[in-house]
Amino acid sequence: MRAIYLTGESVYLRAIIAADKETAGAWYAGPFPINAARAEEWLKEVHTDLWGSNKPRRYVIARVADDTPVGGVALALRDNRRGFLTFAMAPWLDEADHLRAEALRLLVPWARDDLELMTLTFAVAADETATIDAAEALGMERTARLRDFVARPDGRVDRFLYQALNAPWRVGDA
Amino acid sequence: MRNPLMVGERVYLRALELEDGETLARYAAEESDTFMYRGRQPQSPIEFEIWLKDAYKANPPPYVEFAVCLRADDRLIGNMGIGDLDWVNRIGETGSYLGAAFRNSGLGTEAKHLLLEYGFERLHLHAIMSTVFEANTRSSAALAKQGYRPAGRLRWTDVKGGVYRDLLVFDLLREEWLAARDAWRATRAGADRGVALPR
Ligand SMILES: CC(C)(COP(=O)(O)OP(=O)(O)OC[C@H]1O[C@@H](n2cnc3c(N)ncnc32)[C@H](O)[C@@H]1OP(=O)(O)O)[C@@H](O)C(=O)NCCC(=O)NCCS
Repeated sequence: MRAIYLTGESVYLRAIIAADKETAGAWYAGPFPINAARAEEWLKEVHTDLWGSNKPRRYVIARVADDTPVGGVALALRDNRRGFLTFAMAPWLDEADHLRAEALRLLVPWARDDLELMTLTFAVAADETATIDAAEALGMERTARLRDFVARPDGRVDRFLYQALNAPWRVGDA
Repeated sequence: MRNPLMVGERVYLRALELEDGETLARYAAEESDTFMYRGRQPQSPIEFEIWLKDAYKANPPPYVEFAVCLRADDRLIGNMGIGDLDWVNRIGETGSYLGAAFRNSGLGTEAKHLLLEYGFERLHLHAIMSTVFEANTRSSAALAKQGYRPAGRLRWTDVKGGVYRDLLVFDLLREEWLAARDAWRATRAGADRGVALPR
């Protein structure tokens, strides 16, 4: 099921399958536990828009080496033009920041060149430096800084919003 | 006052009731300002009623929404709330709407201070944000007065006049809100108590 155009060196993205209910803790967004029965129900609730773009598209981020799900990403669309990414990385990972950074390196060119989205926006905590470096290397702009928006065990850090702006769309904006 | 939760000098906040949908739909129909968003749209009282049936079910809720009412005669003048509540990071996003006749007389700012007091001092939120379509200069002016700080701009968010425009982002910490409220109270101290309210 791995999408050939969303496959990198250490992670790839794919559509969610029914068996993913067993590993929901890795890809489901949010700090609270979710069991397989609830994950199965939820997957049916969210996968009801096969041909539309009214519901976020959801993908599993899996490790190339062993196909283990290590996270999830949702892509919400507005007007089929503006995309919003939300990442959830498995809480047991040591290298979450690096794997999310690699997922971002797959997602941004796809959203810009394949889906031709006008903008792609996502939020990142100020201490998620590998993801920030990846965003900036991809040409994303930091368009907002929300002070103290993320709670950490030893204090708070800022949340940044990054946007990829699709240059060809600028033409009509002149 | 009917079922008040936060009480100010001229306005109070209470939970929205099902029948409030009728008034809110009327305010949408009577909208006279065109600069704030991409365009005006009629809203059905049925939509409001369906929304309000569920709006107070979840506990803790994903958002809190209030009716803004006049103390003088209990009239509903608009609604205001904190959305995208994140109970782990203790953050949320405020949003406000007053019927056209009730704008520009400081009622929105008075209500907002009640809402922020609720957010910071009852929910113990740490930080609050707000977003404003850049054409909505009145809303930005009101936020600045209430202590919010510019936090950036999300590019190319919606169309106005055939051009994609930005969404301005603001944030606010409790200390900044307290300072803004003190400043606002100082300006209100000598204010005429007999402000004429729309009929
Ligand atoms: C935004 C809103 C809640 C503010 O409440 P309000 O009671 O009108 O606000 P206030 O009267 O306290 O403050 C408005 C300020 O904007 C200023 N203002 C009015 N029109 C303005 C304009 N076109 N451009 C810039 N500033 C303007 C006023 O002078 C006032 O500032 P001052 O007190 O320093 O003179 C209310 O106007 C409203 O409901 N607007 C329509 C819906 C909306 O825009 N919601 C916000 C969406 S982000």
